[in-house]
Amino acid sequence: MKRAGAAQRLPEPPEGEPGARGAATRAARRTALALAVAALAALPWIGNTVLVQFGISVLLLATLAQGWNIIGGYTGYPSFGNSVFYGLGAYGVAIAMVQYELPFWVGMLLGLGLGVAFAGLLGLAVLRLKGHHFAICTLGLALVMTAIVSNLEIAGGNIGLVLPLLRSEVLFYELALGLAVLATLTVLWLSRSRFGLGLIAIRENEEGAAVMGVNTTFYKVIAFMLSAAFTALAGGIYAYHITYIDPVGVFDVVLNVKMIIMAVFGGPGSVLGPVVGALILSATAEVLAARLTGAASLFFGIVIVVAVVFMPRGIAHLVRHIGPAGWRYFIDNVRTHRL
Amino acid sequence: MVLLLQVLVSGVLLGGLYALMALGLALVWGVLNIVNLSHGALIMLGAYATWFLYTGAHIDPFAALPIAAASLFALGYIIQRGILNLVIRGPMFNTLLITFGIEVILTYLAQLWFSADFRTINPSYAGSNHALGGLTVPYVQALAFAIDSVLTTAMWMFLLRTRTGRGIRAASQNLVAARLYGVDPKRIYALTFGLGAALAGVAGGLYGTVSQINPYIGGPLTAKSFVIAIIGGLDNPLGVIAGGLFLGVVESLTALYVGPTYRDVASFGMLVLILIARPGGLLGRTA
Repeated sequence: MKRAGAAQRLPEPPEGEPGARGAATRAARRTALALAVAALAALPWIGNTVLVQFGISVLLLATLAQGWNIIGGYTGYPSFGNSVFYGLGAYGVAIAMVQYELPFWVGMLLGLGLGVAFAGLLGLAVLRLKGHHFAICTLGLALVMTAIVSNLEIAGGNIGLVLPLLRSEVLFYELALGLAVLATLTVLWLSRSRFGLGLIAIRENEEGAAVMGVNTTFYKVIAFMLSAAFTALAGGIYAYHITYIDPVGVFDVVLNVKMIIMAVFGGPGSVLGPVVGALILSATAEVLAARLTGAASLFFGIVIVVAVVFMPRGIAHLVRHIGPAGWRYFIDNVRTHRL
Repeated sequence: MVLLLQVLVSGVLLGGLYALMALGLALVWGVLNIVNLSHGALIMLGAYATWFLYTGAHIDPFAALPIAAASLFALGYIIQRGILNLVIRGPMFNTLLITFGIEVILTYLAQLWFSADFRTINPSYAGSNHALGGLTVPYVQALAFAIDSVLTTAMWMFLLRTRTGRGIRAASQNLVAARLYGVDPKRIYALTFGLGAALAGVAGGLYGTVSQINPYIGGPLTAKSFVIAIIGGLDNPLGVIAGGLFLGVVESLTALYVGPTYRDVASFGMLVLILIARPGGLLGRTA
């Protein structure tokens, strides 16, 4: 049975008001975004510690969602193995700092190298699989890595590693912000470049893309490595910030599912969607955890189910298309996808 | 030598249970093209249903299995009819996500109602076993194995011989043609998911008699079921049985010769290798 999904996820036509007005809105939009980033960078001097803590976690999640967006949203390969890159990044920092007493940035480089190398080597084998098979194979990889790292002495085995403590929330916040901005700029570049268009072509029709001269294997492996790079760096920052890591915690498949949910909730294959998705979902979860202790995970589950049923193409699509249709947008979504 | 044989026997008995766990997942996957991430949660609910019937109403766990299966069937039917049928034509990862959402909800409710404590189903005959020329065969596991074989055969017969079973197979092969021949997809899909859930319910009840249960056992069991479905392919229940037995034996052997902590490396490593080498499953068709 052919799924109707492919045809509906064609790239959006560029919203081009022609001429000078278009250029003006673009410039205005760019200024607004730059101002937003500047405001975010100033947050540690305005807000309190709780807000900064929350900011670090949201920015790391946004980076993860954006990393998943590169391989899942743009290239159309639903990876469940991104938590492996996260874990490798975290362990890169932890092993460098604890076992060899190297500085933090060397650990970040080590984690980055491990993640990208892993993505390159395995990508060659795994990216030949499609759809469910790719999803499950990467899930299997994540489970294997958890089990292997639990048995490694250098990684502290089952018990994990304790990192040196650094009390500088501002530093972690700014690092996380920088990384999230870098990831988003990379995705912005993808949405305009020849390379990004190649990835979209692979998502929509891989054979077609190959016929049109896209070197699909090369494109897919590079996309996987890019995705791995951001995810590994986020893992490294997390490890130094949280100061304690163990295999089950950082190779967590649930974290991978969170990346997917945030990206899909925001709009896979869009530039700002994953960031907005990460922000909205984390904020709601945070508020709920404070108000109704314990029921947060129930709410999380309900949000996923409701979002998939009523807005299967994410917030980015919702914002652009809800327009005059209003609430009928949601009904129409159900109509197109139900049996 | 006796040790090796003993490990093989436990591996086969464990594999029988694994096969039953994977059977429902493979059925839903093969027919509906949904990889049901809530499958393990359904197994967990089946285990709790059996546990409540045993400790609350003093019904023998094996006699409680049909009740557990019936309630899980009803739950599965409602989930498919009420939720999954609404999104089944959407992009692939939407069905993955929504079943994950259902898993989160079921796990949360189980933890709320049943608490996070470990439970065991411990009938009086739990520890007794049969000595067979130097080998010990625990009664409970042997009975679980027998039930599994009977159910798998019955499942196969149902798919091959009955009208509804043929409807299910037709829907999985070509939905449009099946519709033209009078198959109502909404009903058939709900029935199929219900059957998958009922199988998970039985598997859960049996799991509860051989192992401890808590609300969080679902995730790893879903992963194991995947491995088996991948090894066996989605074409017929016999492949799933073979996959279950294979995994049970490999896990037992790894635990004996390499070390218990390497069990998961073996099973999930095998999954990755098989997928890369033969995407259609070790025994099934190649894609």
